[in-house]
Amino acid sequence: MNDEKPEIKKLYALSSENRRFTFSLPLKNTIRIGKRSYAVTLKSDEKFGTYILLKNRKYPVEVVRSRQNRYEILFNDISYTFTIETPFSLKRLKVLRSYSGKAESEVIKAPMPGKIIDVLVREGAAVLRGEPLLILEAMKMQNEIQSPVNGHITRVMAKSGTNVMKDDVLIEIKVG
Amino acid sequence: MKIKRLLIANRGEIAVRIISTAREMKIETVVVRNANEPDAMYVSLADIVFDNTEDPEEIPVFLNIGRLIEIAIETKCDAVHPGYGFLAENAYFAQKCIENKIIFIGPSPDAIYKMGNKTIARELAMKQGIPMATGSRGNIGNEEEAAAAAELIGYPVIIKAASGGGGRGMRIVRKPEELEKMFLIASKEAEKAFNDPSVFIEKYIENPKHIEFQILGDTKGNIVHLGERECSIQRKHQKLLEEAPSSALDDNLRELMGSMAVRMARAVGYYSAGTVEFLLDSDRNFYFMEMNTRIQVEHPVTEMITGIDLIEQQIRVASGEALAFRQKDVRIKGWSIECRINAEDVQAGFAPDPGKIEKLVLPSDPYVRTDTGVRAGSAIVSSYDSMIAKLIITGTDRKDAIRKCKLALDKVWIKGVKTTLPFFRMLVRNPVFIDGTFTTAFIEKQLDKYYLNSEYEEMLAAWLATRLFVDENLRRDSISIDYENGKEMSPWLLNKRINQF
Repeated sequence: MNDEKPEIKKLYALSSENRRFTFSLPLKNTIRIGKRSYAVTLKSDEKFGTYILLKNRKYPVEVVRSRQNRYEILFNDISYTFTIETPFSLKRLKVLRSYSGKAESEVIKAPMPGKIIDVLVREGAAVLRGEPLLILEAMKMQNEIQSPVNGHITRVMAKSGTNVMKDDVLIEIKVG
Repeated sequence: MKIKRLLIANRGEIAVRIISTAREMKIETVVVRNANEPDAMYVSLADIVFDNTEDPEEIPVFLNIGRLIEIAIETKCDAVHPGYGFLAENAYFAQKCIENKIIFIGPSPDAIYKMGNKTIARELAMKQGIPMATGSRGNIGNEEEAAAAAELIGYPVIIKAASGGGGRGMRIVRKPEELEKMFLIASKEAEKAFNDPSVFIEKYIENPKHIEFQILGDTKGNIVHLGERECSIQRKHQKLLEEAPSSALDDNLRELMGSMAVRMARAVGYYSAGTVEFLLDSDRNFYFMEMNTRIQVEHPVTEMITGIDLIEQQIRVASGEALAFRQKDVRIKGWSIECRINAEDVQAGFAPDPGKIEKLVLPSDPYVRTDTGVRAGSAIVSSYDSMIAKLIITGTDRKDAIRKCKLALDKVWIKGVKTTLPFFRMLVRNPVFIDGTFTTAFIEKQLDKYYLNSEYEEMLAAWLATRLFVDENLRRDSISIDYENGKEMSPWLLNKRINQF
């Protein structure tokens, strides 16, 4: 891997839950579990599609989405979202975060295409984690969409009786 | 009368399941090909395919009684098997079949009607002296009646659709101030799902186990039960995992509940396969919930521990044969667990995740039976349920079955949609599941995470993301790929990269 640009020594994969995984460059095709290092191989064939081979076990993998430095990876049927940061961009990110304070926003998107049956909250309302926000009907089920956080409703885009597409923004909540 | 040709008024895995037994019995099968999934697996397995893809389908064909009868007549079928869902518990459909001299494989229209109407079923159960949760007398007409009934019964209460089933039109109410809203939601949902807005109110049994008994009866008046299934692993009242027998029952309780189930069936002159559902509370009191007058999704676990093919029995009974065994002949051997592998996103509260199944590899070990209606290349379409496959694992006892289940789950390989596999991988390692003390509240109350993943799995995913980033951005010869054009990266792109690593 000596064709990689030499000035960056490390990369960080930041998970959406803010866990940080550090990888040295040039990036090796091995992974450390406990005290030992294991070879990681990315493979693909007709029967299984793409997979990672580790310790003789196959794990299904898929890149669901990628945009700039953001990657959504499906690994063994679980999705993970990472942003890849360099030491410089990580520092900048920390500075940016300290300016913006704690007021983060949570955006509730439609998890699947369907019809809004009922909107249970209004703008300005305080909600608790787990509190039902709206009812979305899809695939013969009425699905209660619950608040993932404690906070205040800042915007309600969902309208009762309308159809929505997957990932349409329904509600915005100011966390805290 | 011997059945020679059978119309399967259903799709998916149950159509495939019925075809396999019909074939062994040398009965020809007819299925309906429809525009939602013209290339479905069941279509390729039947002897005769009725092509309905040109039909505009104002009503989905599997719900269109007139059309199905026409198809049965046109294809010269002498019987119809409704499977589960759709018209399986529609008394009018059963009646129409009989009027057209077509055998309906299921109980009498009268039994379907009485058990389908929860208010009538409750009255029947009460007359038979079968234990039940206290409830409203008949249906509830408006919010005021609902409030009065709930007050009398005492909170928490559950509002249920009179014509309901499968968890739809059910709402639990814990506080009087929630009642009006929940009553309206339940009623609306009931009207939409069952064309009948009537609901009734029952005392809500806290944290029960869901125990159901498989019933089998013939037209000569013989009725037996084939033991219980436990289906307490549910979310939103939808079952995810079922097992037989249940660790909550001993022989005495099994005999008592089984005899009550038979009594309930006898009260409506039941024949064919049916299921009597009970709730079992922590003091081992049981309460009649409802009777399902069809073959159930989870019927295979009973088949595995009794050695009885329930579809075959349904067909034999429908042909007028008497049951070849009695209660004393029914033997339960081993332990069987069914995992419903659905196209659902466990990380998004089990939201359906329809799509094309790119790859599908199912285990072929002798302890696993897989009932499926799809194969690689099939689609899980949003017009139907999200089932991909039922993984049925049988062991000598519960411990053995769980151990084998763990192995089997790691052998299932599905690509293209997210599945419930990570949920089951977590479940079979959960101490509450392993000791068998879980209740229907388990998923919603006792789990803080719905899936299994280890720290090193996340690290591997992070490694892959980093690998891709390096490849795209830090190499002099890096190739840029437009991911936005597809949900998934096509394998050849990744292959190209693999060669570069």
